Amino acid sequence: MPLDPASAPVADRVRDLNERYRHHGATAVLERALSDAQVGNIALVSSFGAESVVLLHMISVMDRTTPVLFIDTQMLFEETLQYQLDVSEKLGLTDVRSIRPDPEKIRELDRFGALHLSDPDACCDLRKTQTLASALAPFDAWITGRKRFQGGQRAALEFFENEGDIRIKVNPLAHWAKDDVRDYMINNRLPRHPLVSQGYPSIGCKPCTSKVAEGEDERAGRWRGKDKVECGIHFINGKPVRRVAEGTEGEATPQEETTMSVIVTDGGFAADDWNGELAAPEDTGAAAVLLPSDADPEVLRDRLDQLKLVAVDFPSFADGRGFTIARRLRLMGYTGRLRAKGHVIADQYAMARRVGFDEVEIDLDLATRQPEDQWLRRAEWKAHDYQSRLRA
Amino acid sequence: MYSYTEFDEAFVRERVAQFRAQVERRIDGSLTEDEFKPLRLMNGLYLQLHAYMLRVAVPYGTLNSRQMNQLAYIAETWDKGYGHFTTRQNIQYNWPLLKDVPDMLDALADVGMHAIQTSGNTIRNVTADHFAGAAADEIEDPRPYAELLRQWSTDHPEFQFLPRKFKIAVTGAPNDRAVVKAHDIGLEIVKNDAGETGFRVLVGGGLGRTPMIGKVIRDFLPKDDLLPYCEAIVSVYNLLGRRDNKYKARIKITVHENGLDEFKAQVEDRFALLRGQFGGADQQLLAEIKAQFARPDLPARDLSGFTTAYDNDPVFRAWVDTNVAEHAVDGYALLTISLKAHGETPGDATAEQMREMAALAAEYSSDELRISHEQNVILPHVAKSDLPAIHARLQQHGLATANIGLISDIIACPGMDYCALATARSIPVAQQIATRFDELKMEHDIGPLKIKISGCINACGHHHVGHIGILGLDRAGVENYQITLGGDGTEDAAIGTRTGPGFAYDQIVPAIETLVETYLDERESPDETFLDTYKRVGMAPFKAALYPAEEKSRAA
Ligand code: HEM
Ligand code: SF4
Ligand code: SF4
Repeated sequence: MPLDPASAPVADRVRDLNERYRHHGATAVLERALSDAQVGNIALVSSFGAESVVLLHMISVMDRTTPVLFIDTQMLFEETLQYQLDVSEKLGLTDVRSIRPDPEKIRELDRFGALHLSDPDACCDLRKTQTLASALAPFDAWITGRKRFQGGQRAALEFFENEGDIRIKVNPLAHWAKDDVRDYMINNRLPRHPLVSQGYPSIGCKPCTSKVAEGEDERAGRWRGKDKVECGIHFINGKPVRRVAEGTEGEATPQEETTMSVIVTDGGFAADDWNGELAAPEDTGAAAVLLPSDADPEVLRDRLDQLKLVAVDFPSFADGRGFTIARRLRLMGYTGRLRAKGHVIADQYAMARRVGFDEVEIDLDLATRQPEDQWLRRAEWKAHDYQSRLRA
Repeated sequence: MYSYTEFDEAFVRERVAQFRAQVERRIDGSLTEDEFKPLRLMNGLYLQLHAYMLRVAVPYGTLNSRQMNQLAYIAETWDKGYGHFTTRQNIQYNWPLLKDVPDMLDALADVGMHAIQTSGNTIRNVTADHFAGAAADEIEDPRPYAELLRQWSTDHPEFQFLPRKFKIAVTGAPNDRAVVKAHDIGLEIVKNDAGETGFRVLVGGGLGRTPMIGKVIRDFLPKDDLLPYCEAIVSVYNLLGRRDNKYKARIKITVHENGLDEFKAQVEDRFALLRGQFGGADQQLLAEIKAQFARPDLPARDLSGFTTAYDNDPVFRAWVDTNVAEHAVDGYALLTISLKAHGETPGDATAEQMREMAALAAEYSSDELRISHEQNVILPHVAKSDLPAIHARLQQHGLATANIGLISDIIACPGMDYCALATARSIPVAQQIATRFDELKMEHDIGPLKIKISGCINACGHHHVGHIGILGLDRAGVENYQITLGGDGTEDAAIGTRTGPGFAYDQIVPAIETLVETYLDERESPDETFLDTYKRVGMAPFKAALYPAEEKSRAA
């Protein structure tokens, strides 16, 4: 039940709480949050992501009946869904609630699951913000895992926040450093999210999460290539904030992206993680080239081992030369990354993989028209393949 | 006969499921019409003048009674009760609804058949000698190689979006019954001086608007090299073939424009690169395929019944003389059932006729049937002593026409009656010629004479290789038929020569009559065929007969 309306306004309570807990550590804050009458009815909101297990473990020790809200946007990694089940069981959490977007609205606004490509803000709003907003209705407070070191808007994070005078947001880990998280997990032998070891330090929805290179910011893999840093569930003044107004807290104003594209691999859609230029084939110093479909792959013969990425252009899906070019490059001994770029349709994905391409790059329009599931249907390109029976 | 492995079966099912989804994705907008088109084509679905057309492959022309019965079932369930056998060993259904097509494909899969790559810019259904495995003149059965090529070309990831369609034919006999010289790749099984069998490989043959006879690119290819060599050819073509002009996109133009030497040099290069990809798995598979094509047991049979009927029944005798060919096994026959009843649409068969032919195959032909590129059906292993009984059965179903190789055994494309590209009618012309010569009762006297008719320059009716070829054109809104003479689709392949100006729709049959009369006047004996006579006397007498006024004006 929500707190009695007669109790002090949210703003006052938040000020008071921050005052009282200023010099406390994370566990103390959390412990108090779970029991303090000033906080009220509380839930932990967890993504079961890379670092979520810390808070989950803390509440499992303090009170494993605490409600845990897990937002299943229905765009998550398989691994996350499995991890959620495994962790909940291992920690003995008794009230984990998977909350999902309203199917009616999904049908109406994102039938093909492609909204994230054309308008990630609208997608997050639909799948996370609105979903969470209705799930939080019965609570006076919620716990998040945000930390100051994550930077950006989070740099000035307090333990307790006033969320639009409606609800208190508790950030017990606000002052934790990266190492603290790691140490806690090691000391308590907590299971790690399986994707972390595969290069994802921050894990959100599958389409909007990509791997992060060494030295890159941890959250660089989220909404890569888009001017988006938060999903919008962190409300200000009771409204989801998707973009901070100009001049505040350093977040850039949104820019129109015109050349956005999507990389398709066996795992589905991801943003492009190749940051360099694609040079013309004549540019002999380049590490990455774009080969037109009428080029002779022989032009690359002498420097195949210097090349990190060769993209072959598909001006039209009906121009099948790229398939032969890819096969030729592989036969010539090229072992680097090979990309089919341009108008390649989902129905050609298996062909592309079979001739030696690693990935396909398509534009947003095509990705919207042929969403990820249509590509994933061809992801098992090794099955039903006559060639593999004949070539050995 | 080859029957599907579990792999083939699973492949075809998966392919149907994919196509079902493609139809749905076309409807929900995921696929544009442009994108959907090649996908439906590579699954055999054409858009014709009036409706969709589904083209089903009969690989290397071989099928069993169960499959033939299923073709009948499909014709009845989803079409108007008949099907059309084509010049490339396919059967076409002219009236399916788009929504039914996935079900039709499933029904085909039930009997180990498919419509994959029967259209589109892909490697098409591989065709073979329709007498394969039974002909007396055969070096080796070509069908195991055709099946190997089918597996290799099916869903080949490099070759689903070629510059243009690509057709391969194989023959295992020196007498070419598969028109291999008019194919993009023609394969002839030959023996070399050391007595080994291998392939003579031809490239760049084709009819269409620029007819060309295939050129030899390899005199002798060891059999093990078949797949890498074909792959090298298609792979070179895929990059070199023109994509800027669809009329110049076929490999015949690629070879012509680049020269055979340059083309061959590139192919040999590519072959060297590719050879190592095929390390024997293909040969192992081939051995398994070959075992399935073993000739059935054909025990010796008493011939007296056959001899009596042949001596006493002139109708039966005439039918045997034209429709039966020599079998490799004594006492057996290769029987061609004519789908060219006078006045009917060449190549059409009703569901009932299909069922009857299936039943005859089950009873009398080791359960085997063949479809010929001349649009007829063959029972390949018939005991001569069974021929009288078979003849009687065929008569009851309008299938006993004795005209194989004769003037009414016409190949005609669908033309204006069905085809969106047509510039003239072709089926009615075929019907009128057949009916006319049947009335004249001259057919058997005229002897072997192949007439082939196309309704436009795409030459689906093979008119270039007809002894008499007819090409229907549109001249300022009026149908006009050009005639060519001396074409030949056999091992002596030749493109016919034009006689001169074309003829109007109502003059074409009289013009053919004139040509035939000229031949009858000119021939040295009844044994000299039309083609032989033409080769001996040349164009002049025929031209003089066709265009008497012009000849006179020139003389004047
Ligand atoms: C009714 C719908 C049909 C259409 C729209 C159609 C269209 C075409 C086109 C455009 C070509 C020329 C291809 C080129 O040269 O690049 C062609 C060639 C050919 N068609 Fe058809 N066709 C149809 C029906 C048929 C039928 C019913 C047959 C068999 C009886 C057939 C057999 C052939 C053959 C053998 C060629 C090869 C000529 C060559 O070697 O170039 N077609 N067709
Ligand atoms: S993270 Fe991506 S997929 Fe998930 S809700 Fe946001 S935009 Fe949609
Ligand atoms: S020859 Fe022309 S008219 Fe005849 S079927 Fe082919 S495309 Fe149609």
